[in-house]
Amino acid sequence: MADKRRINGPASGTAIPIFTPSKSGAHTLQRTRKPNQLRKIYLQPGVVPTASGSAYLELESLCHPSSLLNAVPSSLKLSCVIHGPKPLPRNANFSSNLQLTINVKFAPFATRQRRGYIRDVTERDIGTHVETALCGVIVRDRWPKSAIDIIITILEAEDDVQWGSGTQQQNTVGGLGNMNVVSGCITVASAALMDAKIDCLDLITGGVAAVVPKDDGKFVHHLDPSVIEEPFLNSACVVGYMPARDEVTLVWTRGNIPSYSDGQTCRFDSLLDSAVNAAKGAHVILRQVATELAQAESTKLIIDESKT
Amino acid sequence: MSKHRIKSVALEDDYADDYYEDDEDQSGYVEEDGMTAEDQERLRVATVQARNTLGQGFTSITDKEIQDALWHYYYDISKSVSYLKNKHTPSQSKQDKTRPAKTGSQLAVHHQAVKEPNIHHLLPSTAKDFFWDSPWLNIPFHRQAEIRIEPVFPRLGLLGGSSTGEGKMSKIAALAAKRRLKEKENEKQRGAATHTSGLPEDTASGLSKLRIATSHTLYPHKEHPLRSRHDLQSASRIDQTQETPPKGDALPPSRQQGKDKRTEDNHQLNGSQSGANVADMRAKPSMFARTLMISCDTALPLSSRPPTLLPEPVISSFDFLKPSPDDIVLKAQNFKGSKTSTSSKQQKPAKAKESITNSMENLSVVEPETIKSKNLDVLAEYKKVERKNAANFVVIGHVDSGKSTLMGRLLFDLKAIDERTMQNYKEEAEKMGRGSFAFAWVLDQGTEERARGVTIDIATHKFQTERTSFTILDAPGHRDFVPNMIGGASQADFAVLVIDASPSAFEAGLRGQTKEHALLVRSMGLAKIVVAVNKMDRTDWSKERFQDIKQQMLAFLTTAGFKSENISFVPCSGLQGDNILTRSRAPQAAWYNGPTLVEELDTPEPVNHALEKPLRMTLDDTFHDSVQNPFSVSGRIEAGSLQVGDQIVVMPSGIKAFIRSIRVDDEPSDWAVAGQNVILSLSITEADFDQINIGNMLCNPAFPVENVSSFTAKVLAFDHLMPMPLDVHKGRLHIPGRISRLAAVLNKVDDSVVKKKPQVVHPGSIARIVVELDEPAPIEAGRIILRANGETVAAGHLE
Repeated sequence: MADKRRINGPASGTAIPIFTPSKSGAHTLQRTRKPNQLRKIYLQPGVVPTASGSAYLELESLCHPSSLLNAVPSSLKLSCVIHGPKPLPRNANFSSNLQLTINVKFAPFATRQRRGYIRDVTERDIGTHVETALCGVIVRDRWPKSAIDIIITILEAEDDVQWGSGTQQQNTVGGLGNMNVVSGCITVASAALMDAKIDCLDLITGGVAAVVPKDDGKFVHHLDPSVIEEPFLNSACVVGYMPARDEVTLVWTRGNIPSYSDGQTCRFDSLLDSAVNAAKGAHVILRQVATELAQAESTKLIIDESKT
Repeated sequence: MSKHRIKSVALEDDYADDYYEDDEDQSGYVEEDGMTAEDQERLRVATVQARNTLGQGFTSITDKEIQDALWHYYYDISKSVSYLKNKHTPSQSKQDKTRPAKTGSQLAVHHQAVKEPNIHHLLPSTAKDFFWDSPWLNIPFHRQAEIRIEPVFPRLGLLGGSSTGEGKMSKIAALAAKRRLKEKENEKQRGAATHTSGLPEDTASGLSKLRIATSHTLYPHKEHPLRSRHDLQSASRIDQTQETPPKGDALPPSRQQGKDKRTEDNHQLNGSQSGANVADMRAKPSMFARTLMISCDTALPLSSRPPTLLPEPVISSFDFLKPSPDDIVLKAQNFKGSKTSTSSKQQKPAKAKESITNSMENLSVVEPETIKSKNLDVLAEYKKVERKNAANFVVIGHVDSGKSTLMGRLLFDLKAIDERTMQNYKEEAEKMGRGSFAFAWVLDQGTEERARGVTIDIATHKFQTERTSFTILDAPGHRDFVPNMIGGASQADFAVLVIDASPSAFEAGLRGQTKEHALLVRSMGLAKIVVAVNKMDRTDWSKERFQDIKQQMLAFLTTAGFKSENISFVPCSGLQGDNILTRSRAPQAAWYNGPTLVEELDTPEPVNHALEKPLRMTLDDTFHDSVQNPFSVSGRIEAGSLQVGDQIVVMPSGIKAFIRSIRVDDEPSDWAVAGQNVILSLSITEADFDQINIGNMLCNPAFPVENVSSFTAKVLAFDHLMPMPLDVHKGRLHIPGRISRLAAVLNKVDDSVVKKKPQVVHPGSIARIVVELDEPAPIEAGRIILRANGETVAAGHLE
């Protein structure tokens, strides 16, 4: 008789799944979206009731989960929490602007390559990018002697390296996964800022675009490229974009802009435009969410008034 | 493993009545979810093939049996056919064989076999009916059940089960499969919506439609897809009850509508000029997100919340100003009662309330110590007693001018010290090579004081003459201990200034503490000063020297503010004892025929103490007296009176205490008045011991001293004053603070403002300043001394 006071394991165990590297090379999906079609975005503000502002963002998963058990491509799942504005500590120096602290952290299980618990270089780097993007949008001089903490937790992210390939493939621009993360971070932070009701110039969103070589030697711009779908890339670009002001607060580009023999125009400008278009697409969602939030607030107000 | 399987075995053992119903439910359950559409299609095709292979000879074999066989042989048609042929050749009755203990879909299939038409009409309702034709204890083989024990090894695959339909699914997996089906169906509907709304069809929706196309049914029925086909003969055998969709699958119409509405909302989303496809860019939450959002009710936007959900609960907070439900009931009861009783009853609650508050006030965590007060009229008692004049005097002067020695001599001559003690002091002093210090040791009791040969702290001693009872406050002369001297001087009624008459020592003293002390005692309000010109034996009782000193000191003291009639000079010698109690017998001193020091001290001095004012007493010392009186304080009562049993409050801590006992001049007493030096034993808790410190003020609880953090004072500047940090001395109390503002420089004569807001106050001028203290302290109107960097910079009084 087993000891009932202990938590015994199941009577019949199960085998531990062991994943061996695929011999057939990296698992890729064919991009079925149009080049200018984004992945669907789910965005929900106000997920953390105790914070002054919060939001959750996820991108749709690219294939059905049951289709390939060992190679389910990751999508993006981000949560953002904002605390503040709160007064600066007494011993801090005077600051006429709102002090912004951005903390980006991958959950240990966010990628297939497990992350540590201490913030590493990548996370700090992403944090810097996001901070650059947000500094330009928050009206910081409205809040002197104050600070806000923006904490972004990446619950699931795309791997920079394609699963199963073991090594990074050639012709692929590294860091596309991180670019997607930066873009997502900007959008989710924007939604959280909106939820926290912190004065901003505009609803900033992030967008990613990439230059992808086609079979016929030409190049095409893919908006919102996913690592799993794009085995070959020439360059990628992420922007933080304010549509109402038509201003860009962050640009980050990697890779080479290919040179063309046939006079096809593919310059940096056009890549940037594509990224801006991607950001505009995300802005549609963000605007819709903002409208819903405002409606909910007004409904709540009406309910409150009718109660009193 | 699966519980119901075990259950069915057990039931079979018991020949439970409801066996068939139970199993039937399970079979339907499994059939519904166990086979995917693909399987069903495959089974259907295989059945047709098998029937063709079997030919006409085996038409009696039902579809069910064929399917059963096919299932067993995993769609191997030839094997299934041979099995069926073997099975049906020897005996038809084998068809009836039931094997209810089979697992999974096998079980299900068998039960369909039981319901074959030849026994269908006989379908027994109870076990008794079922076994009606069976001989007792001799059941034919084909009627016997077979018990199959499930292998202990797990099936291949993960424990959670998969949706692909291999093996039997767990209930959770079945539910998941159901949900998937539902989603597919929704997607199908949405796909249709996309079409109808005329939006450009994107690849994604096309894909989803492809997926939907694989599922044939709108509702996942309990029916078999094969049987629903018309080309099968067994179609008529479907139980009518199985046609209805199971409850769990039916979507409430309202909810469906809600979902449709949301989809439409998504379609309305557009307006991006980006060229990206704007249709339906918004994703639905994933499983993870949905789980996450459930936890907070604000997650779903109001517009998309299904209307069928419970209406938002209206929780209104209770208005506590209104009477509570209990109050209403009680009031009603009281009202009933008051009809019969008098109006006096209505006042009862108020009275009760009052008594409660009273008893609350009486409540105390610490058991109060009951000290009986005799409730004396202290002032009347004081007047009754015929007593000697009491006087405190402070002995001041430059270091090494012989203050302690002079006082020691005085005490010795007045027999306040007995001969033997003095002899001891002399011997000890000789041993240390300081023979001349023997008298000083009467007052300098501390080892450090004796080793260094200087007085450090105020020493008090008592002596009595015929008319007066004196208390000596021997002040230290060294400039490092001026704060102690201030503490002593604050308790004194007059001062004895000791001057070293020996050559050059007087001049050094005049520049040093002789001058400072004289100024300090004057600024503390002492009017009378006796100048004892000491060490006259060193000058060989030179009259010229005495006159010289007298002239200089007189000039200095009058400028300091002493009236000349309050200044008296006595030439004396502390070491020799000349002119202290008795006149000098030295022939050189014959020129002096004035009073001796003691006579000078004894001149009547009417001292008026503020007896009528509220109690004020600065603590000189706090100490552990005895076990009975663990906490005692000493000091001089500055104003008011007290008696045993009085409650007092100690400021600034605000601790209240009772007076246990009083000792006036080392004599037990029931009361004490202003001007007396007392030792009080207080009753306080041990925790408060270290809250009471030297320099604290004992007050009447009715009129306590207020703790102030800033005050205005009119001061005489001894040094340049500017806004600067300094120490504020008031009696024993000294607190760090700073001059926050120089308000004005005043005229010395009539206090009129000479200059407003001066940058700096020059020495010798009178100024009004504002002092801020670092921490609040009990300071009342009175004399204060301001010192900075070890020097007295100003003295004055509070305004």
